Amino acid sequence: MSRRTFLRQAGILSGGLLLHHQLMAAYSSRLRQTINIGFIGCGDRGRGLLHVMKDLPEQFKVTAICDILDFRLAQMQKEVSDDVKTYKDHRQLLEDTNVDAVIIATPLNMHYPIAAHALAAGKHVFLEKTMTYNISEAQQLVALSKKHAKQVLQVGHQYRYVPLYFRVKEMIEKGYLGKVTHIDCRWDRNWNWRRPVPDGYTDKQVNWRMYKAYSGGLVAELLSHQIDFVNWAFNTHPDEVMGTGGIDFYKDGRETYDNVQVVLRYNQGNMIGNFGATCANAREGYIFKLKGTKGTVSLLVNEGVFYPEPATRKELQTVDGVSGATKIEWNTDGGIPILKEKGKDGTWYALKDFHKCITEKQIPASNVITGATTAVCVHLANDAAYAHSVRQWKPAFNFST
Amino acid sequence: MRCLTVICLLLVVAAVRPAPKKAWRLQGFAQGTTWHITYYSTDSILSFQSIDSTLQQLDSSLSIYKPYSRISRFNDASDCIESDIHLSNVVEAALQTYAATNGIFDITIYPVVQAWGFGTKKVTELPDSFMIQQLRACVNSRYLSFRGSRLCKQQPCVKIDVNGIAQGYSVDVLADLLEQRGITDYIIELGGEIRLRGRKYPGGEKMQIGIEAPGDNEFQPAMLQQVIAPGDGAITTSGSYRKFYESDGKKITHIIDARTGYPVQNQLISVTVLAKKAITADAYDNALMAMGLKQAFAFLQHHPELEAYFIYRKQDGSIADTGTAGFEKWKIVE
Repeated sequence: MSRRTFLRQAGILSGGLLLHHQLMAAYSSRLRQTINIGFIGCGDRGRGLLHVMKDLPEQFKVTAICDILDFRLAQMQKEVSDDVKTYKDHRQLLEDTNVDAVIIATPLNMHYPIAAHALAAGKHVFLEKTMTYNISEAQQLVALSKKHAKQVLQVGHQYRYVPLYFRVKEMIEKGYLGKVTHIDCRWDRNWNWRRPVPDGYTDKQVNWRMYKAYSGGLVAELLSHQIDFVNWAFNTHPDEVMGTGGIDFYKDGRETYDNVQVVLRYNQGNMIGNFGATCANAREGYIFKLKGTKGTVSLLVNEGVFYPEPATRKELQTVDGVSGATKIEWNTDGGIPILKEKGKDGTWYALKDFHKCITEKQIPASNVITGATTAVCVHLANDAAYAHSVRQWKPAFNFST
Repeated sequence: MRCLTVICLLLVVAAVRPAPKKAWRLQGFAQGTTWHITYYSTDSILSFQSIDSTLQQLDSSLSIYKPYSRISRFNDASDCIESDIHLSNVVEAALQTYAATNGIFDITIYPVVQAWGFGTKKVTELPDSFMIQQLRACVNSRYLSFRGSRLCKQQPCVKIDVNGIAQGYSVDVLADLLEQRGITDYIIELGGEIRLRGRKYPGGEKMQIGIEAPGDNEFQPAMLQQVIAPGDGAITTSGSYRKFYESDGKKITHIIDARTGYPVQNQLISVTVLAKKAITADAYDNALMAMGLKQAFAFLQHHPELEAYFIYRKQDGSIADTGTAGFEKWKIVE
């Protein structure tokens, strides 16, 4: 490696703390226009999005909320102003002319029908991940979105907006990791992944993630984030998906697996991705490791460390010291922290992008095409896992604008 | 017999030849940043503990973030306090720099620095000209004096901040500690302030120092601009490109011109200073930043003990660099 290359490469690790400004510049609208928002789905994710949105009062004003469950609606109502309209039927909310855009944060099986209604009603859509429940809905939504080209459809894969993950993508693109051949992801917990069911409600209404008719389980709700990141960062998709799993510990009537492992083979990318989750061990919790010939990136949700391979380490240590306001900092375990300043939550930048795309008529970083690609991956992964088999990518899954 | 003598001699020589020197590394956190020490010796002769406790001792003397520190007690006092060795050394050096720079470097600037939001407390709004004028009544290093071992101020409102010089001083204190242990080949770095001596072993190569610079625009990550091999001495860098915030489209940097009470606004992005001691380099890097390029070069003509390297923004917005003749000699050409 020449000194010049080294100098450039050391820079990305030693500095780059202005990433917040970088993301701000990318996702801030030039236009001052407040978008009226209707929330469809007032569960945990809906309320989480509401909290972030409260940080952006110039961009958004919540004018309506909707949930079919009374207790959810009541919870959300406490957190918005009194003049916000409440609905139990999303179609009524969509008729409200005081709503410019909707946030859809419902069980997965309702993503497509509600998004389709919202587009037909002329609303911009922020649709939570995973984009759709199955492949045909993904294909239909892509087609539908093309018909409504003036309306924004953004998908809630917010890793594309998290400063840390943004930086890691940059590291991959600049060849920092060398050739990445292996990716390991886990999202483990040691509890039943259930929510308490209030009196008068059914388990299916509250714990819809346990039932196949409503949800894609752990793969759709959790691993889809990392699957989407790999698609994005390497500009690729898997060609072959293997899966297995079971209801191995919580034999409580659930239908979706509490223990699952899928292996994604990326032929063009020459990579293997292992994505797994269990509800019966929390030791490792969240793991996301990208392993390349020059080094490994090990990511937590908000922290990342780069572990250079021995040859790379030598190159990085060609200078003995650095004078300046910042510098490469080595951990005691031989790693280099990737981002010292955490920036804001990815959802914050994602909502900024949503606002920018509506006001400046642009396509969001996480859009219907990228959302459809990841939805297909998730569906193939679940299909493979439930069948204990292998699924192949088909040309029909290659979406384009 | 002669043969035996030769063998005996060879054996003796082999026995007394010292083991080759190798690198020993220590690192930790102090003064809100990280420190790294690499020294070259045959054996490990320096403990983490000895460095850590020395840095803690310095903090208890010089940190404005520690309410019990000697400096905080001075700032809270209405006239004099009993100084200690570190505070005395740093204030004496600061007073010399104050005189040499005609008041550009002034540790009594602290109340103004605090008003701009770079002190220990956050500020909700920027100071206006009236407030700056009022605060400047307390700013003048002439208000400081030593009475024996006591450090005194002429007015109760005088407060000092030695942040611009304490890190460099700390590096010197650590260098003294290493030299007392007989270490002659080392590099010490604390928050980007560096002191080095000797060479690297086992190979005997010169040590190389990278100088960090900002990218082409403020959204780009920083990169290393130069690599130098300066030999024995100290290197520090002061820059406006990292510690700043924006207010109404204006960049407010942490470097305040003591003569005006306002943040420095000139073409300089960073200044790297080479000197014999880190306290000297550290004291002058901020002053040179405040002077601007032209005045800084004029100043350096009268200070052959200093070498400097500047990164600055040209009128057309592009970034350029320049250094003193002495600095150019240390540059490693690709």
